[in-house]
Amino acid sequence: MTPLVAVQDVAKDFPLQGGGNYLALKGIDLEIRKGEFISLIGHSGCGKSTLLNMIAGLDLPTGGTVLLEGETVKRPGPDKMVVFQNYSLLPWLSVRENIALAVDEVMPDLPKAERSAVVEEHIAMVGLAHAADKPPLQLSGGMRQRVAIARALAIKPKLLLLDEPFGALDALTRGNLQEKLMQICNEHELTAVMVTHDVDEAVLLSDRIVMLTNGPGSKIGGILEVDIPRPRQRLEVVHHPSYYSLRSEIIYFLNRQKRVKQWQAKPHKVLARHGLEKVNVDLGFIPLAACAPLAVAEAKGFFAKHGLDEVQLVRETSWRGVTDGLLDGTLDAALMPSGMPTWMTAGGHGGDPTPIVTALTLSRNGNGITLASRLAEQGVSSVADYRDYLLRTNRDPHTLGIVHPASMHNLLLRYWLASNAIDPDRDVHLQTLPPAQMLADLKDGSIDGYCVGEPWNLRADREGRGFPIVGDLEIWDGHPGKVLGVREDWALAYPNTHIALTKALLEACRYCADPAHWDELSALLSDRRYLGMKQELIRFGVPDGDRDNPHGTAHTLFFGPGVNRPSRSEHLWILTQLARWSEIPFPRNYVEILERVCSVGVYSTAARELGLDDVSYQRGGIALFDGVPFNADDPIGYLNTLSIHQDFSVAEIPMGVPRALAD
Amino acid sequence: MSPAPSSGFHLGQWWKRNRKSILPPIFGIGGFLIFWQLSSSLGLTKLSGPLSLWTEERTRELLLYPFFDRGGLDKGLFLHTMSSLSRVALGYSLAAVIGIAVGIAVGLNKGLNRAFDPLFQFLRMVAPLAWVPIALVMFQQNQPAAIFVIFITSIWPILINTAEGVRQIPQDYRNVALVLQMSKKRFFTKILIPSTLPYIFTGLRISIGLAWLAIIAAEIVMPGTPGIGFFIWDANQNGYVSDIVLGVIWIGAIGLILDRLMAWLQTRISSSR
Repeated sequence: MTPLVAVQDVAKDFPLQGGGNYLALKGIDLEIRKGEFISLIGHSGCGKSTLLNMIAGLDLPTGGTVLLEGETVKRPGPDKMVVFQNYSLLPWLSVRENIALAVDEVMPDLPKAERSAVVEEHIAMVGLAHAADKPPLQLSGGMRQRVAIARALAIKPKLLLLDEPFGALDALTRGNLQEKLMQICNEHELTAVMVTHDVDEAVLLSDRIVMLTNGPGSKIGGILEVDIPRPRQRLEVVHHPSYYSLRSEIIYFLNRQKRVKQWQAKPHKVLARHGLEKVNVDLGFIPLAACAPLAVAEAKGFFAKHGLDEVQLVRETSWRGVTDGLLDGTLDAALMPSGMPTWMTAGGHGGDPTPIVTALTLSRNGNGITLASRLAEQGVSSVADYRDYLLRTNRDPHTLGIVHPASMHNLLLRYWLASNAIDPDRDVHLQTLPPAQMLADLKDGSIDGYCVGEPWNLRADREGRGFPIVGDLEIWDGHPGKVLGVREDWALAYPNTHIALTKALLEACRYCADPAHWDELSALLSDRRYLGMKQELIRFGVPDGDRDNPHGTAHTLFFGPGVNRPSRSEHLWILTQLARWSEIPFPRNYVEILERVCSVGVYSTAARELGLDDVSYQRGGIALFDGVPFNADDPIGYLNTLSIHQDFSVAEIPMGVPRALAD
Repeated sequence: MSPAPSSGFHLGQWWKRNRKSILPPIFGIGGFLIFWQLSSSLGLTKLSGPLSLWTEERTRELLLYPFFDRGGLDKGLFLHTMSSLSRVALGYSLAAVIGIAVGIAVGLNKGLNRAFDPLFQFLRMVAPLAWVPIALVMFQQNQPAAIFVIFITSIWPILINTAEGVRQIPQDYRNVALVLQMSKKRFFTKILIPSTLPYIFTGLRISIGLAWLAIIAAEIVMPGTPGIGFFIWDANQNGYVSDIVLGVIWIGAIGLILDRLMAWLQTRISSSR
């Protein structure tokens, strides 16, 4: 079936006053099926109204075409009626006359009596019979917009176009009108395109939400399908499981756009100084106790000491922000979960495989699994109890929170569940959530628990919302936690900067490892720039390692023999686990991937220049709690021995030749 | 509360509400008239005082009998005024029709606007009196020349306001016309005219004052035709100062009435939207 509207490779540029052109939109492709409700969302100035105007024919594209039922849109017409933001009612005509004007204009062949019947029907449809003879200026904003909607619907357009229809209305009126519009759209199976900047409005009304990136040259940054069944009720949709994930997806997108815009607003020159190729480094992190080395390197001047005068720590709210920041170049380097380098290198983020290099493991341990206190009230105190609980309540949905598919939390949680005969994909549902949201979700009971780094386990415990069920010591003592990651092309373009960054952070790791500094670290991290929470909630462990209490306290390792050196066998284990859970296919060229991901050379250089002798040390084999041996020489054989897994595949990951970033 | 308030009570209320807008003008105008009368009685000026309108017998007759007609140019003030007004009506109507038409054309067409705007701006600066000799040369006769002077003086505010009104039609209204694919004719009657009407009326109101100013100038300089301008000129020739004062009062009063009339029309138009 051909779509009702097809927007094909549309571009629009406007001539500027001082000569030249402003490219507003570029490469827009969109198909709208009959009966669909589409929202266009984006920051102001992203060209969403321009796109709407081009569909309406009020504006013509400078490239590409807009087709309505297979015919090019060349001029505006009543078949694609627009509801404008400021209503566009004629003030010298009454409500009835305004609607009649449109009806008379569009349906001149209809007998007069039928025309006036159409007018009255639509006045009644929007509930304005009592105000039909009033001029628009005597009506409230909401009533005026209802008139505009009635006028648009009265001429039976094939396509209804709404340009921020409720933008100027107060919240209560807006809510009522949204419901009214939804009801009308459902009843008449209308096809509609709406421009909005209201996230909730978009989720409530739309079948699909089209997100536009910032101009100049705005593109479609993503299209979200809203799978909430109709008819929808404004107060009920918020309870649908998709609602908040859609909402946070849009908000993430908009925030990301804002971040990119702010980044673009600043000049970005590569500053070479002190024999380093680039001393201005934007270093991404998310607020976790494991970001301590970054905070210390900044506060104690380790960056500057190694010549990096202009390091900016950029706080992201989720690991996804880190991934996107590295992909679009707004971040030079980032603190990342240890699975992320191989995951991005293998294309796990959904785009082209993007080789990521890690030269430093910043932390080990420090994670734990927390279950909700309400489970403890049901008698859950061990994994066996939890399994029984799941069996008992297998009709209810059970969701566990993870921070990112490529984070150790996901892999450890899955490994732990699977080893305890709980299938992490069938028996429970794993949901990616920002750490800060997990606690809120634990409170409102929408998740059973989560696996995350400190301070989020401690906080749940202290606030009485959850209890630690297992600590990482009991799953894999000494597992890699966070690593330093940069793009391979960045590392090749700025090799000395990469070494200097590794040195600064390695030195910071050494500082963090001293328990005597932990109070100072807690105080430092409690600052708003980092974690922004109470100092006593930020714990790295107990001095001398409280090994008797494996899952109440953190046992973060920042420094020590074999702690910081990137390990190929660990990354290989991560590759097997990512493949096991179908995050990526298992790469046939895994040797090449590990070779390129683990930049042991940069680490060794940095360690040597700091006077550390780590090169001779080899970590022991990988030993997890269940005792299943990991044979680094036969990863596929190892994968096949694991009982619970997804249908994994093995494939060659196209890597290309290593190439330095062009300036 | 008294159940049936007397009418005296109402009057008191009315007075209380309105005295602030009634008393100051009475004091202002009264003070001015007294000052004028005093300076004339004391011989400070040769101009006769306001009382002379009554004390001079000839003037009192003119004041009391505005409708007499002894043939020729010897008429009552009302009849003089009517001939002036009829000229104004002709010239002003012409100015309104042509001003609105040209204003719309110029407002719709940017090229036309660029071509003629400097000319319009220039011509509207020319004083009514300066047009008189040109008009006399053009028409060779007093009557058409006088109408032309009124026309040329009063057209500019109408034209310029109309053009501005057309340019100021909100894009929203134009979009409505575009989306509904209105014909040119329907756009004109359904959107352009109603939307521009307030601007047109502003222009018309300014112009009526100008037209009335111009008629006096035209008639004073073109003697031999009945009209309020001629009346003043005639009184001046004969040295009837109190007649001149009476004529001036008539002119002011008529001008005020015309302006009020247009103001009333203007509010009627704008209150209907």
